[in-house]
Amino acid sequence: MVGIVLVSHSAALADGLAEIVGQVAGDEVRIETAGGSSDSRLGTSGDRVEQALARADTGDGVVVLADLGSSILVVRHVLDYLGVNGRIRLVDAPMVEGAIAAAVVASSGASVADVALAAESARDARKF
Amino acid sequence: MPASSEVAIVLPEGVALHARPAGLFVRRAMTFTSRITVVKGEREADAKSILGVLGLGALGGTSLVLRAEGNDADEALAALAELVPTLA
Repeated sequence: MVGIVLVSHSAALADGLAEIVGQVAGDEVRIETAGGSSDSRLGTSGDRVEQALARADTGDGVVVLADLGSSILVVRHVLDYLGVNGRIRLVDAPMVEGAIAAAVVASSGASVADVALAAESARDARKF
Repeated sequence: MPASSEVAIVLPEGVALHARPAGLFVRRAMTFTSRITVVKGEREADAKSILGVLGLGALGGTSLVLRAEGNDADEALAALAELVPTLA
């Protein structure tokens, strides 16, 4: 099953989102977070991202959602460095909606490509 | 030619298609190959799209039509219609 990694400047934001996503998508999907800097302040840590990716990846790949700015840059840097070849995908999607859409599709056993597509389709979703 | 069917349901009081119940509904819908649509008034959502279903804002008491097209359309609608009252 494809895992999900949530990357935020704020550990509280990432953890809170993981809680919501888990409630909607069920507890079979692995949802891991990389929140805050290495000294537990607001920021992004490449090490935390790498560790979250390792925890989330059970062999079927990982879809990564990040909040904005340096989170995106750090994730892209980590993925370049790891050379993961498309099996781990950072998606360009709104984080809350994208994470929920991705995790629900992941829970059906879908591929990385389909989970990434679900997350990116959140760009056009209406809230009401 | 694939089967097509529909069923009208009313969400019981206390059953809203919000976060957790919508997740259960969509995850069940995804187990069928048929294309399944949830209709609320003039709005339609893909029953396999969590954001689509959440966007309907279907609260308890809401009338919905479930429509399915495909080889397992009847089974899908029966399963979803049976699931809905248990979602509270």
